[in-house]
Amino acid sequence: MTNPLATLPVLRRLDPAVLTAFGCIVLLLLFGAMRNPNFLSPDYLLLQLQVGSFLAMVATGMMLVILLGQIDLSVPWIITVGGMMSTAAVGWGPWGATFAIPIGVLCGLVFGLVNGIGVAYLRVPSMIFTLGINAVAQGFMVLRTGGFAPQDMATESMHDLATGRLILGIPNPVWVWIAVGAVTVFLLRRTVFGRAIYAIGNRETAAYLSGIRTQRVVLAVFGISGALAAFAGALLAGYSTKAYQGMGDPYLLPSIAAVVLGGTSILGGRGTYLGTVAGVILITLLQSILSVEQIPEAYRQLIFGAVIVAMLLLYGRGAKVAA
Amino acid sequence: MDGPSSAPLFRMEGVSKRYGGVKALTNADLTVEAGHIHGVLGENGAGKSTLMKIMAGVVQPDEGRMTLDGNPVAFGNPAAANAAGIVCIFQELSLVPELSVADNICISNPPKRFGLIDQRAQRRIAEEALARAGGEDIHPLAPIKDLPLSRRQLVEIAKALVRKPRILILDEATSALTAADVRKVFSVLKRLRQEGLALLYISHRMAEIAELADECTVFRNGRNVGTFKSGTKSDTEIVELMIGREYSHVFPPKPAPQAATGTPALEVRNLSWNNRLKDISLTARAGEIVGLGGLDGQGQRELLLALFGVLRSTTGEILIDGKKCNLNCPNDAKQGSIGMALIPEDRKTEGLMLPMSVRDNLSMASLGRLSKGGLVDRAAETKAIDEMIGLLAIKTDGTAVPVGTLSGGNQQKIVIAKWLMTKPKVILLNDPTRGIDVGTKAEIYQLLRKLADQGAAILYYSTDYDELIGCCDRVLVLYDGAVGRVLSGDEITERALVSSALNIGAGQVGTGTSSMAGAGAAG
Repeated sequence: MTNPLATLPVLRRLDPAVLTAFGCIVLLLLFGAMRNPNFLSPDYLLLQLQVGSFLAMVATGMMLVILLGQIDLSVPWIITVGGMMSTAAVGWGPWGATFAIPIGVLCGLVFGLVNGIGVAYLRVPSMIFTLGINAVAQGFMVLRTGGFAPQDMATESMHDLATGRLILGIPNPVWVWIAVGAVTVFLLRRTVFGRAIYAIGNRETAAYLSGIRTQRVVLAVFGISGALAAFAGALLAGYSTKAYQGMGDPYLLPSIAAVVLGGTSILGGRGTYLGTVAGVILITLLQSILSVEQIPEAYRQLIFGAVIVAMLLLYGRGAKVAA
Repeated sequence: MDGPSSAPLFRMEGVSKRYGGVKALTNADLTVEAGHIHGVLGENGAGKSTLMKIMAGVVQPDEGRMTLDGNPVAFGNPAAANAAGIVCIFQELSLVPELSVADNICISNPPKRFGLIDQRAQRRIAEEALARAGGEDIHPLAPIKDLPLSRRQLVEIAKALVRKPRILILDEATSALTAADVRKVFSVLKRLRQEGLALLYISHRMAEIAELADECTVFRNGRNVGTFKSGTKSDTEIVELMIGREYSHVFPPKPAPQAATGTPALEVRNLSWNNRLKDISLTARAGEIVGLGGLDGQGQRELLLALFGVLRSTTGEILIDGKKCNLNCPNDAKQGSIGMALIPEDRKTEGLMLPMSVRDNLSMASLGRLSKGGLVDRAAETKAIDEMIGLLAIKTDGTAVPVGTLSGGNQQKIVIAKWLMTKPKVILLNDPTRGIDVGTKAEIYQLLRKLADQGAAILYYSTDYDELIGCCDRVLVLYDGAVGRVLSGDEITERALVSSALNIGAGQVGTGTSSMAGAGAAG
């Protein structure tokens, strides 16, 4: 079966899954516009991108981990760690307030590196180990807040970073996303590190026997994932002006779904960042439409889960036909 | 006119198959008679595998027709072909490593009792099948992962026999077997022929075809270029049919033996590991090809892995150019000062990332050289890759295609090229010619000699005695994890290799074994 679109050189290079994802985005936009004419206004769309950029930070780290053929289930509470530690740093005086976000990110990095050590060096399956670290992170955060209320308000600058519109009227988080995205694309396409990620995801044995230091790469990727999740937490804290327990809970399924809907193989080794971008936008729009429709939360969750499962089924089928 | 009784068991006529723009099979004919062994020869990519896949129902032909007992048949899937009595043993092993031998043998149709698998009946079936396949010594409850490759192949044959085939297709079934196992399998195959089975036997080893087959068919570029009675054509004629050109010496001439002076490029002292390697000492000089012989699973693979820094807690010393070095991982071993390269045993799982591009695979081992500050230098990479593709004459449709789309021989060339790009001084090869065609084999032999002439020290493990005889300046025969015997120069003969592999004195092995271990082609 030849795809007529495949004759265009630009489109031929795109993964069919990425095209499908963008197609779904267009459908969702049309659907939204039919229900509510304001849906296509630039303001509303920019708001979607702004909300989506928090998910994008998490999904970027998740994508790198999934490219390795692993999974990071510790993101919910590492997000919370990022949010709570960066706001907590504010309470440590002017020094802490200045470096609030880096301190949050650093804490996430530490948790991520622990994940990496567990998966790469102790050889524990990532599905188990990161789940355990998620619980450990939760324990730490509960310990910290137990009995008294620590400083949990975001600083002015955190709030600005998450909600301001410094350049061209585009929300700051979108710029952050563009920067992180550009670095990721560069990393994946141009560097030895990026090649190693794809190689390990495809065949770890062959990568190791090629003289790639596979353990270090895995360690670094989990570190990046932890740091990005914590960064998302710090941004979220700035967005909602405070950090709170469970703030990362709604991000686990969407971040994995965004990566996989974007055409990255859940088994690792295959996928593009453009696909993850498409996946993030798709998930964000879907959530937005569901909340605009004003249906009860329970039904929203039902529909959200069902739509994601249905889409993944569709993708699985497409991949089989292509193979 | 042809009544079913006079029709051959199986016939295919005018069968064609194309994958995208590539014609895998063009207008192919094949007739298979019951009670005959039909040898199928051809280089990799000649269309043999496609032919087999069509017969086994794995792929559907674009045109052409097939008849079984004179009745037209079409197989939509492997199960349909199985039901018709056509069973295939593919080149790639299809066993589940975690399951037991009996589980694997009965995997497609396990015996059931009250809806559950009847373990006792399954074990009995497995034992019977193993006995028919010549693997009586394999315990049916042993997990597959604990068996060496050669035993696994016997299990694979047993698994096929359980399906009660009328036509049994063997695709490179002996490529992983040692000479002794090959002999066993051959007697099994001959017995199956007597029982009235039709066997289709695909192999690169012409000596095997000559011994087994009643008729031979040669494929080239997706066409049937000749079917003839076995023994009516000489080996040279057959090879010329296969490659379609004049065929001369397979092995390049060896240089005169040199005096053992100076520091060897590689020296190993008292290397031991986990009771699998026992006190191994060896040297390899620059310019020398040192063979590793012996039966499969005597520690050759472990020795190469230990040298390459893969195995943990080895004892003993490894010296490169006289300097002691401590190798903890392949990354240490490939560094410029050491300059080691390992061409691993299984290209599909250890050598290549099949879905990744030719380009990515080729530069994978030498990214350190081709990058600055972690950034890949695309221009340098392209230059180095083009050089390698030219040097090894790799046939590929550009460097962006996935390696998995290339033929087996070209894939193996990529594995070798990937390591040549690191400019290695010590090259370790683990059975690099397994399952690849004669033409590519010859190219690899030439290349190895050229590399040696340019100053590389080569350690070469092969399960094929002809290669050890034809290629190596010296051969270390391993037995039970230790160096049993060292043969050099004219001492490297089939008889010496076989007898030292079995750890018995020379002269006790009859000449009958010589035809078994044969491979490649007449020189």
